[in-house]
Amino acid sequence: MPVLTLQRSYKYIMYATKQPSLRIKQADLKCKSGCGFYGNADWDGYCSKCYRNHMDHVRQRKSLQNQTPENSKTQMSGFTKFEEKKRQQTDKKNKYLKSLPVFRKSSNVKDSGRPERYADIMRQSTPDTDKLLVEFISTYGEWGELVRKDLLKCAQSIVTEIFCGLDTKPIEDLAEIAQNYYNKYDNRLLTNPVYQVVPSDVKDQLLDFFEKYSMMSLYRFLFCPPFTNDEDKDLAIQGRIRKLSWVNAHHLDCCISETSIEVRDLVYSAINDLLGMDSMKTPQEKLTCVVKCCQSVVKVLQHCQGGPVSADEFLPALIFVVLKANPARLKSNILYVTRFCNDTRLMQGEAGYYFTNLCCAVSFIENLTAESLNMPAQEFEAYMSGELTCVSAWESALVACEGMHQLCEHLALLKGLSERTDTVKDDTQKLMEDMQKLKEEITEKVTSVLERTPLIIKPRKTLIQLTKENVSLTSAVLIPLSANENIPTDHNNELEDQNPTQNYYLQNLSMAQINLLDSTKNKLQLELTPCITIADSSSAVLPSQSTEFLSSMDRSIDSITPDDSSYAGLSKINYDIDFSDLSAENSMADELTPEKRKSPTPSFSTPDPFSPLGSSCLLMQSPLVPSAAFPQPEAKPLKKDDFVLPFLEDMPVPEERLLDNIEETTAISLPPPMKPTAAEYTGFSKQGSKIPSIPCSTGESGFMSLPLDLPSSSKDSIN
Amino acid sequence: MATNNNSYNFKVVLLGEGCVGKTSLVLRYVEDSFNSKHLSTIQASFLNKKINLDGNRLNLSIWDTAGQERFHALGPIYYRSSNGAILVYDITDMDSFQKVKSWVKELRKMLGTEISLAIVGNKSDLEKDRHVSLEEAERYAEKVKAMHFQTSAKLNKGVEEMFLAVAQKMLDESKEKAVQAPQLTRNNSQRTVTVVDDDVVVTNKSCCASG
Repeated sequence: MPVLTLQRSYKYIMYATKQPSLRIKQADLKCKSGCGFYGNADWDGYCSKCYRNHMDHVRQRKSLQNQTPENSKTQMSGFTKFEEKKRQQTDKKNKYLKSLPVFRKSSNVKDSGRPERYADIMRQSTPDTDKLLVEFISTYGEWGELVRKDLLKCAQSIVTEIFCGLDTKPIEDLAEIAQNYYNKYDNRLLTNPVYQVVPSDVKDQLLDFFEKYSMMSLYRFLFCPPFTNDEDKDLAIQGRIRKLSWVNAHHLDCCISETSIEVRDLVYSAINDLLGMDSMKTPQEKLTCVVKCCQSVVKVLQHCQGGPVSADEFLPALIFVVLKANPARLKSNILYVTRFCNDTRLMQGEAGYYFTNLCCAVSFIENLTAESLNMPAQEFEAYMSGELTCVSAWESALVACEGMHQLCEHLALLKGLSERTDTVKDDTQKLMEDMQKLKEEITEKVTSVLERTPLIIKPRKTLIQLTKENVSLTSAVLIPLSANENIPTDHNNELEDQNPTQNYYLQNLSMAQINLLDSTKNKLQLELTPCITIADSSSAVLPSQSTEFLSSMDRSIDSITPDDSSYAGLSKINYDIDFSDLSAENSMADELTPEKRKSPTPSFSTPDPFSPLGSSCLLMQSPLVPSAAFPQPEAKPLKKDDFVLPFLEDMPVPEERLLDNIEETTAISLPPPMKPTAAEYTGFSKQGSKIPSIPCSTGESGFMSLPLDLPSSSKDSIN
Repeated sequence: MATNNNSYNFKVVLLGEGCVGKTSLVLRYVEDSFNSKHLSTIQASFLNKKINLDGNRLNLSIWDTAGQERFHALGPIYYRSSNGAILVYDITDMDSFQKVKSWVKELRKMLGTEISLAIVGNKSDLEKDRHVSLEEAERYAEKVKAMHFQTSAKLNKGVEEMFLAVAQKMLDESKEKAVQAPQLTRNNSQRTVTVVDDDVVVTNKSCCASG
């Protein structure tokens, strides 16, 4: 309570701080920023989101105010540090460039617009060159700062020199400058002490990188430069190739089998590689594309003819690919590579060889005549002028290939589908078989259970005997007068009872079967339903009973007999079914249990629902039956003795009685765990000591579902 | 083309009419196999071979060329700046020998004596079908200052010797060239070096200044 009041007061305080007046306007509850959500006093009147934004703003402002240069430096992440370094470097570079004598000279000599343009290059070429720099640092960073500085310095000098010569010198001279620089740098790699630690293979890579870096910077100015006629050449070769589109592999004596799908794919990949050359910026990258293309061509030839590929076959195939690819700016690319790629690379190695072949192919295409295709000049002219339009084998083959390709794909698809349907069929077959098997199994089990369950009925006979014994014993020992008289009738009753009870048991058994299938929890539910049937069956049974005591006994017995199975079960554990059935008259059974319980408790864990007969018999032999009978007999015999005979002969009259009895018994049956019964039992000194266990046992036996009724029923039983 | 003191890169082109066995020669030399179907992954048109010769490391780039007549005009692109040329003819085919002659003329005209020539009569295993006499071929080779060899790629006869001899000759010539024309190269290098030195000085200054 104090906590509650505190909370309330706290709430009130909050409330009060926010709104001194009792009347709060809607607007006052809303977020200060006017976003439409409700605000909170804790958040300065903002809603949660706006408060967060507000705080961010505040924090930023603070950090801006607090930030000192030292702070910013320390706060910088690794990458920004790197960037900072680079910026400083480029600044340095620019400074250095401005101080370069060559540059100064040229800028002095030439127009003043040059420096800006130069700066422009340096700035604009950064994205690519920066990428390269990053690559360089990651790859060659281990060789130290000096190596990198020297390389960049040399690259800078070549860039400067070539750029200065752009307007004045022909492209060939520029190419020579570049080649000279490559040689220079190569020598420098060998002689300069900076590179002494670098192994020779890395030196080669450094030379390549030098070329790459400088050419990346100069690509815009050296590729297809406006002061050359490269572009015209491009257009010329493009037109030429377009005109020669009718040339097919057969014309070239080239053994490419145009109809094969695999070959077509390989040729396509070769064409793609060749087309990719134009998008590359450095000569090396362009060369790589050429090499890839040529390797694809080699694969094509290997696929078509097998065995090693000689130049006699390779060149025609390459020509064919070039004709079909018609790459953009082919001539410019070739010239760019020829001029600015390191000559030593062009003259040797795979790349050099393939590039040379490409040059040969282009040259062949440029100079293609009727003679070179081994066809009459007239025919050649007719083709070139478009009079003759040979249905190009390549094109038609492509169409055919496309059709074939699709056909193959569809066939493959169909095959897959048929396989899948087969598997589905098999699976369904299997499933059906499984289902059949399961069905059989279940029916078998059910039948076996059905077969097994009748066995429980048999024990009933033995039980009856036992009960008789018990009854006789009990009656003999405890209630000699009444018991003696009753025994014979009891026998008769029992015999008469058998049929109805058997029906009843069959019902129970069917229930039990169901129960078997269910989980144990379900059993509890089932317990209640049988009660009704019991009432009926017991009502049917009761009339035949002679004495009230006997009837009660009988009922108890009846109830017990079903119980017996259950008791067997109880001993072995499974009393759910029976208990449920007997719930009406279980009081007897329950009262019987205590002694049994004590002895067989360990066996409770055994799960067999239909416990063996023998065990049940043994259990029944225990003197509990009488004890169960005791409390009632003592209370009731006096009243009910008069009715004994009428019950036997007159059906209608006893029924009323019986009904009462049933009520009583049911009433009795329910209370076992309760105190009242226990109080009653205490009267019996012998068994009183054993009584305490009763509540527990009954509780376990599934009566827990009826706890609320117990008090009243206990009262009834007392009455 | 020399790079290091003892290491040389030589480019050798194989010229000759189609079907004289250029590719087989190369394959025999580099892979020691003849017309091997199992070498399907190898492309025989371009091959590298590293050899040691008198303590010199030689890296031979052997370029096969398309021998068809229609590609004859492309020759210059192939043999540009090559150190050696192996001109192959078929001893059973007089035409191929005539072709060799035309190649020799062209090469001498275009490259002068810079290129080491070797005339090779291949298919010596087909002696009985010989149409090109050994004497004639050797006489011709001597006339044009070329080496002459008889080889059989099929039987692996004389192939390695031929290539080694060509390599030796290229090595000798390049050494000779280096001795004969040191001035030119030195001039070139000096000019380039001066520029670099200039840069170095400047960079050093700038470095110091910045430092």
